Amino acid sequence: MIVCVAVVGHQNNPLYIQSFTEADDALKLHHIVHCSLDVVDERVNNPKKSSPTLNETFLGLLYPTENYKVYGYLTNTKVKLILVTTDLDVRDADVRNFFSKFHAAYVDAVSNPFHVPGKKITSRTFAERVSTIVKSFGLSSGS
Amino acid sequence: MEEYPEELRTPPVALVSLVGCPELHASITTHLHSEQPPINALALPDFSKISIFAKPSKDASIPPPPVAGILKKDWLLKHRTRVPAVIAALFNSDHVSGDPAQWLQVCTNLENLKGVLRGRNVKLVVVVVAPSNSKDDLSEDRMIALRKRAELDSKYLIIFVPSESELQQSLIRHAIISHTIAKFELGNTFSELANSYYKEEGRRIKARLERKNFHSAELNIRCCFKAAVYAEFCRDWVEALRLYEDAYHAVREMVATSTRLPPIQRLIEIKSVAEQLHFKISTLLLHGGKLAEAIAWFRQHYASYRKLVGAPEVIFLHWQWLSRQFLVFAELLETSSITAQHVSTLVSEATDRTTQWEFHSAYYFQLAAHYLKEKSSSLELALSMPETSGEIDGNADSVIAASYVGQFAKLLEIGDAVIMQSLSDEDYSRYALAEGKRLQDSYEIIALLKKSFEAYNNDKASRMAAYCGFQMAREYFTVDEYSNAKEVFENVASLYRQEGWVTLLWNVLGYLRDCSKKTALVKDFIEYSLEMAALPVSTNIAGQRDCGPAGPASLAQREIIHNEVFSVIRGETESASTEENSSLKVTADNPLYLEIDLVSPLRAVLLASVAFHEQVVKPGAETVITLSLLSQLPLNVEIDQLEIQFNQSECNFVIVNAQRSHLAAISCLQPGRRVETAPTLELRTNKWLRLTYDVKPEQSGKLECIYVTARWGQHFTICCRAESPASMSDLPLWKFEDIMQTIPMKDPGLAFSGQKAVQVEEPDPQVDLKLDSSGPALVGESFIVPVIITSKGHSVHSGELKINLVDTRGGGLLSPREAESFSSDNLHVELVGISGRECEDLANSENIQKIQPSFGLISAPFLDEGESWSCKLEIRWNRPKPIMLYVSLGYFPQSPELSSQRAHVHKSLQIEGKTAVVMSHRFMLPFRREPLLLSKTKPASDSDQIPSLPLNETSMLVVSAKNCTEVPLRLLSMSVEAVDASTCDVKAKSKNPEEHVLLVAGEEFKQVFGVTPEVNLPKLNMGTVCLRWRRDHGDGERLTSCSTTSAVVTKHSLPDVNVEQPPLIVNLDCPPHAILGNPFTYSIKITNRTQFLQEVKYSLADSQSFVLSGPHNDTTFILPKSEHILSYKLVPLSSGFQQLPKITLTSVRYSAGFQPSVAASTVFVFPSEPHFGLKDIGEMRMESVAAE
Repeated sequence: MIVCVAVVGHQNNPLYIQSFTEADDALKLHHIVHCSLDVVDERVNNPKKSSPTLNETFLGLLYPTENYKVYGYLTNTKVKLILVTTDLDVRDADVRNFFSKFHAAYVDAVSNPFHVPGKKITSRTFAERVSTIVKSFGLSSGS
Repeated sequence: MEEYPEELRTPPVALVSLVGCPELHASITTHLHSEQPPINALALPDFSKISIFAKPSKDASIPPPPVAGILKKDWLLKHRTRVPAVIAALFNSDHVSGDPAQWLQVCTNLENLKGVLRGRNVKLVVVVVAPSNSKDDLSEDRMIALRKRAELDSKYLIIFVPSESELQQSLIRHAIISHTIAKFELGNTFSELANSYYKEEGRRIKARLERKNFHSAELNIRCCFKAAVYAEFCRDWVEALRLYEDAYHAVREMVATSTRLPPIQRLIEIKSVAEQLHFKISTLLLHGGKLAEAIAWFRQHYASYRKLVGAPEVIFLHWQWLSRQFLVFAELLETSSITAQHVSTLVSEATDRTTQWEFHSAYYFQLAAHYLKEKSSSLELALSMPETSGEIDGNADSVIAASYVGQFAKLLEIGDAVIMQSLSDEDYSRYALAEGKRLQDSYEIIALLKKSFEAYNNDKASRMAAYCGFQMAREYFTVDEYSNAKEVFENVASLYRQEGWVTLLWNVLGYLRDCSKKTALVKDFIEYSLEMAALPVSTNIAGQRDCGPAGPASLAQREIIHNEVFSVIRGETESASTEENSSLKVTADNPLYLEIDLVSPLRAVLLASVAFHEQVVKPGAETVITLSLLSQLPLNVEIDQLEIQFNQSECNFVIVNAQRSHLAAISCLQPGRRVETAPTLELRTNKWLRLTYDVKPEQSGKLECIYVTARWGQHFTICCRAESPASMSDLPLWKFEDIMQTIPMKDPGLAFSGQKAVQVEEPDPQVDLKLDSSGPALVGESFIVPVIITSKGHSVHSGELKINLVDTRGGGLLSPREAESFSSDNLHVELVGISGRECEDLANSENIQKIQPSFGLISAPFLDEGESWSCKLEIRWNRPKPIMLYVSLGYFPQSPELSSQRAHVHKSLQIEGKTAVVMSHRFMLPFRREPLLLSKTKPASDSDQIPSLPLNETSMLVVSAKNCTEVPLRLLSMSVEAVDASTCDVKAKSKNPEEHVLLVAGEEFKQVFGVTPEVNLPKLNMGTVCLRWRRDHGDGERLTSCSTTSAVVTKHSLPDVNVEQPPLIVNLDCPPHAILGNPFTYSIKITNRTQFLQEVKYSLADSQSFVLSGPHNDTTFILPKSEHILSYKLVPLSSGFQQLPKITLTSVRYSAGFQPSVAASTVFVFPSEPHFGLKDIGEMRMESVAAE
């Protein structure tokens, strides 16, 4: 199950962060997302030599914490998309698929002429769309 | 890791027992320790102690008791310290070869030993200790007997000779059969035997394993473990690892199947065994350098046991166990030989499933801390349960660890006997709770987090480190170490502030606020409270668990904090928690002053933007200033008083809130300060409060608003640094928020370009400065520029006149390099002097006068209103160059004591510098006299440049001077200054004019000199032409004023000439004119100046204009130092300028031809006898030559 998704701006400031848990541990998830930025930095600064493509946006598993797995995605504009999940066994393809949808939603949200680049995303449509994507992630991995 | 028994932590070491001859034990033990691999020795002084090796008697008839546990706790220890692999029986050689009683004793001891060892596989070695002097005394019979009694192979009967000199044992194995004595290391034998012992034991156990005849899984695990330990003894790491892994898997399978113990204890036992096995596996893997495998193994270990939480009442035991797993693995990683530099290569090899952090011990420390924290919180919860809280202190102290790993038992004392009784789960839980209660987890958590924090910081993972730091500080906070907590929190907060993680920052600030409250730091408390109240926290994050003392981040909470802090600020004590806040008071004894600069996090609390409406203002004139204040505090704030501070303190003023003027805040004002009253000073959330006032600067220079200070009550002040709207940066955290942004000023132009500083001009000068110049300056002359200062309203006090010469093109200084010494060569234009009309005045007073080539400074005298003063600047041009002359006068309108305002007048003037006279020269040979100059016949390029002159012949030098300016010049004289008069005679052919020649613009003046070189030199310096001239001012009146300026000398250096001796000279001789029809003589005189006979060919061409008589062509010889004359009679046939018949001469010796020039061979033929004297015509001809 996805517990948290986040959009982090290129100055590492949160643009959108939403948790999907009942457990009410949003603060902890904020910490986890924030910590994962270290791994993103590290990946970006020391790209793997064996990396198949240079312009790979999907960063893969960033780091495992006690109960979560954190996946990352880096857009061309250095906006980071972060996914925190509690599933222990996640297929990469699912995550990639999720991120591409999430990225598309983000692009649509910032293409809104009333959105000022660099500001937090407050669009309600975006939030609804993201929660739909999050829900569909659970379904597809279950099937 | 330290909590594991030592035998588990260290690799196994073989054990050898020494019996008898106690005096040798120490040296042998030391030697065995230094062996590779080392061997431990168990020393028994005599044979009476051997019973400890005896196997506990086991009655085969009794069936084995049901398995009580998996691993016996002391089994490994027993094999490490009590059960030797080899027993060495040491006998003194005296005893062996001594009297029968001693021999009998030896035999008895040996028999006893064998008896004890029966049933065990322990190896026996018999060592006969023979001092070196008596080793030959050993009788062979006794040795053989001994060997037979011991039932030993001969190689295990050893004669040991302790060497006394060097404590190094030389060991001699006595081979009886061959009668040879070989030296051997005792240690080798021991290690060989020990190895075989452990191998055999291992084989035995493995055989049992393979038979698989166990009736319980416990035994299987135990056997695997034992076999693995034996393999380790044999240093067979691969085998050991395999067996440990088998055991581990078997343990994991037991979780579901075992029923032997009550459920809680069963799980505890399984976990303990798994922990031990996992520890062994990890150690082996890491020592083998298989880092990635170790990590994968750990991950599997974690994954398989993570979910085995166990009974909820003792769930803390699970967390504790997990935490220990992480801690131990972290410590293993840290101490493992694989260092950090390998990690990067390993990371790249690792699959996608492992991430880079898993290679760092920091990650494991962090998780260990996390689980320990989990443990402590669940323990707290368990302790607070009503059913447990009362009874845990009961009889828990009688519970001890039982003889199996991970088991506990109750110790019952019945009389003198002590009985171990198995526990019920309830008893165990009580025991565990009591144990847990005794431990202080917080410091351990802090220590773990600190390790992790430091490691992450070293890896430059600042955010991970911040998270660890946050957890660490929170732990400090719970144990009431506020100062430590505050320090770490502050560190963390700065990162969150910088990256704009508002929710996290809110949480940290909440802790910080509480820390400062608890430590009674009022200033910090207010700062943190204000910062929190001004954080961009919206309501979208609903409830939060463990949100800290700040409460959930929400607008409502911000408002609460806002109210709380302002009640403290205003000193209102009626706040809710009076007792807590009692120390937090802002009073007269304890006033509070906050400063907000450009990087302060409190900028969101109060932001002051100040803009002057004008950029430049006159002193004494009023200008308008707009002051805009912005606050992001959630509620409206009423400021009591505002003070605006400028760098010119007399402009400072105070704005008082009319509604709060009754407050005594105003009393702290300085007297004489301007006070304005505003109807209200209310700051509303995200709304600019704009105030516009007049300011009247008095001093010239910069007037800058520095601070805007807001006061609340009497004792609280926020001093806010003023910012210009033009260069104002966004509020750091609010800039990411999607809020309405407004501009600080109503006027958008001002909002984007307004400045907090204004330039105050100088007072207007009322003095006239006039520069006069008469046209362009001429190179060489001292150009005079009169400067006139006329006072028109101001009197001039201590005036200073600054003069600057600046290159108009480059703007640079006139000298190429000012740093170099000012030689006039470098300077194109220089300021030579300044002369004043009242020179004597200047001399009297102590006035400054400083003149440099491009800069001058003189002081002007005191001038009253209406007076004027002038001086003259004398500037000399060395090269033609236009320059800019800047003159500025600085003065005080009043006497300097009264006013410090200096007024300045500036004037500039561009002056062209021009070359006055251009001179040129020309050499000419005498008319109709042609010396043969050999250098001219050669085609060498060198001769082109240097003109050649014949020696001792008079040549002509024509010098012309042209006026290139628009100014008429008067030439005074022209002369040639020879370097050495003896080498060359230069005489002016025309006289210098008595009346100075006036040369108007563009006119040329020529002078002819006769030059006769007297020395034969290839390079003769001809000297310089000096032309003296001066500017012609026309009318006599001006002339007198400028007559002080002497004549200017323009020099023109003549080139070097080549002087040579001409071998032949040809003179053409014919009358100056001819008359039509009248015959005249045309003679050609060839002079041979050499010592040789010269052969000359000549030919004469016919001319249509003349009839001639004489030879046409011939060859003739000319004797040395003589001359030959060719004479022709010519009758002119036509009038006008006529070409004489052309003569061509060729000198055979020099192969040089000669033809007279056209000018030289032309004659004018009159149609009839002219009516003037021949003498006049001759002079006229001469003039015309000079004019050419």
